[in-house]
Amino acid sequence: MTTAGAGAAGRVPDNTPLDLYGRPAWHRVAAGYVGWGACGLAVALIAAPLASVLWGVIGRAVPVWRWSVLTEAGNGQGGGLANEIVGTLFILAGVSVLAGSVGVLSGIYLSEYARGRTGAVLRGASEVLAGIPSIVLGYVGYIALVIALHWQYSLAAALITLSALTVPYIAKSTEAALRQVPTTYREGAEALGMSPLRSLRRITLKAALPGITTGWLVAMAISVGETAPLLYTAGFSDSLPSLSLTHSPVGYLPYVVWTFYNYPAKAFQSLSYDAALILVVMVLVLIVLARIVVAFTQRHTERN
Amino acid sequence: MSLSSPAARSVDSPVVVDRGDGVAMRARGLSLGFGSTAVLADLDLDIHRGTITALIGPTGSGKTTFLRSLNRMNDKVAKHWHRGDVLLDGSNIYSPGVQLMALRRRVGMLFQRPNPFPMSIAENVLAGVKAHGIAGKQHYRAIVEARLREVGLWEAVSSRLGSSPFNLSGGQQQLLCLARALATGPEVLLLDEPTSSLDPITTEHVEALLRSLAPALTIVIVTHNLAQARRVSNRTAFFYQGRLVELTDTTKLFESPEHPETANYVSGRMG
Repeated sequence: MTTAGAGAAGRVPDNTPLDLYGRPAWHRVAAGYVGWGACGLAVALIAAPLASVLWGVIGRAVPVWRWSVLTEAGNGQGGGLANEIVGTLFILAGVSVLAGSVGVLSGIYLSEYARGRTGAVLRGASEVLAGIPSIVLGYVGYIALVIALHWQYSLAAALITLSALTVPYIAKSTEAALRQVPTTYREGAEALGMSPLRSLRRITLKAALPGITTGWLVAMAISVGETAPLLYTAGFSDSLPSLSLTHSPVGYLPYVVWTFYNYPAKAFQSLSYDAALILVVMVLVLIVLARIVVAFTQRHTERN
Repeated sequence: MSLSSPAARSVDSPVVVDRGDGVAMRARGLSLGFGSTAVLADLDLDIHRGTITALIGPTGSGKTTFLRSLNRMNDKVAKHWHRGDVLLDGSNIYSPGVQLMALRRRVGMLFQRPNPFPMSIAENVLAGVKAHGIAGKQHYRAIVEARLREVGLWEAVSSRLGSSPFNLSGGQQQLLCLARALATGPEVLLLDEPTSSLDPITTEHVEALLRSLAPALTIVIVTHNLAQARRVSNRTAFFYQGRLVELTDTTKLFESPEHPETANYVSGRMG
């Protein structure tokens, strides 16, 4: 008996010639077109609103743009946006530090230490926090910080409220990124006698940085754009923010976009367009900066 | 304890470097497992100082688990348990007060697949040196050069010490990991199939390197490659189903093994 005969049991019969050059069956061709079509449609569904937003913002803002909005603070008749720009930057910096540190540390805890039931409960709690509507968090911040602690409308109240909103995103992405770090890095560090903390600082966190940065970017984008929680906590101010954390309201760009748009005066409407443009530019700058930082820190990784 | 190397010796005529009782590490009644599975059963085994000991045996025989018990790399595996002792220079590494960091500085390890860290080539060599605060900054350059020369990688990488190790070939990456392990000055080096992902020429280079390191360093190597065990080791241990069947001089183990199981395995009739 030949080996071919012996091995043929249970195999597909060998009598169809393997045609390497023929046309594939029509249903495969059709399925291919449908698949690609669905992908293209999905891309269009994402890209179209983005293009529309950019077009709407730039198209309205550019004709009325004055460079002086960057340097003048607001006044009763319009003025500039300097106070709101500085206020938004203060909020960004504050959330970046506060939510960034709490979020990354939470993510490290969830990924490296939280086991079993503790981990499940904490992860669930974090998801619940992420699911709370921002206006509810804003109201809680208002009652707890602005009223109960007598901080009044203030930077501190805004930062804490926005951080509560954004920490879950940073924690989740940090945890996911740390879990994806290859075990070989951890084992190598362990076998070399590195302390767990050193291994985390020098190797694991560094390898997880792109993922952590993604979460941080989402948090920053939320902080730049959120309006509801800030209405309750930051208040609004026409003058440049003071350096005090409490008892001093802060102006911020989304408020301008949201409120000035409905004012009858042309000057205010123009400011609202300008504010929207500045917000978009801020987000773009953040993304570019984050990309640069990530590329620099990842220059020694396997992907390069 | 001095790590200076005595006169060089050839592999064919193994000279056990005698310091005290000549035993670097010793397992005494070691049983080890995970959950309800026992992987190692009541093992007694001596690793002679300054020699190369090869651990051979079929897949699942427990040789890698045993290797990893010598620097306690099994500790973190879920449901790990052990009975018995592993002695390093006469003291039990499983004693409650033992510092894992200090243990692993004395007992280094090289893995099956090269695992450079995501940092520059020079930083990789220095990773352990910095972690243990072994030398000051002014010595870093010298350490990097010395260790890379020791593994024969210096010529290839001296011009790109600051660049990524992941552009190196697999063999070069493994040599870099060896340089990294040597840089902390270990007394014992554990190798888990270190050449299984390397090409024959690099493998030959690594084997020659191990032989030259041996008198100063105690080496334990797990290998599936019987020819390699024969080429590099002074003594060979045959593991089968979690038990140590036989540990004796390599030549004897391959040419006149005492146990039929060993004979079957080394002659290719089993495994």
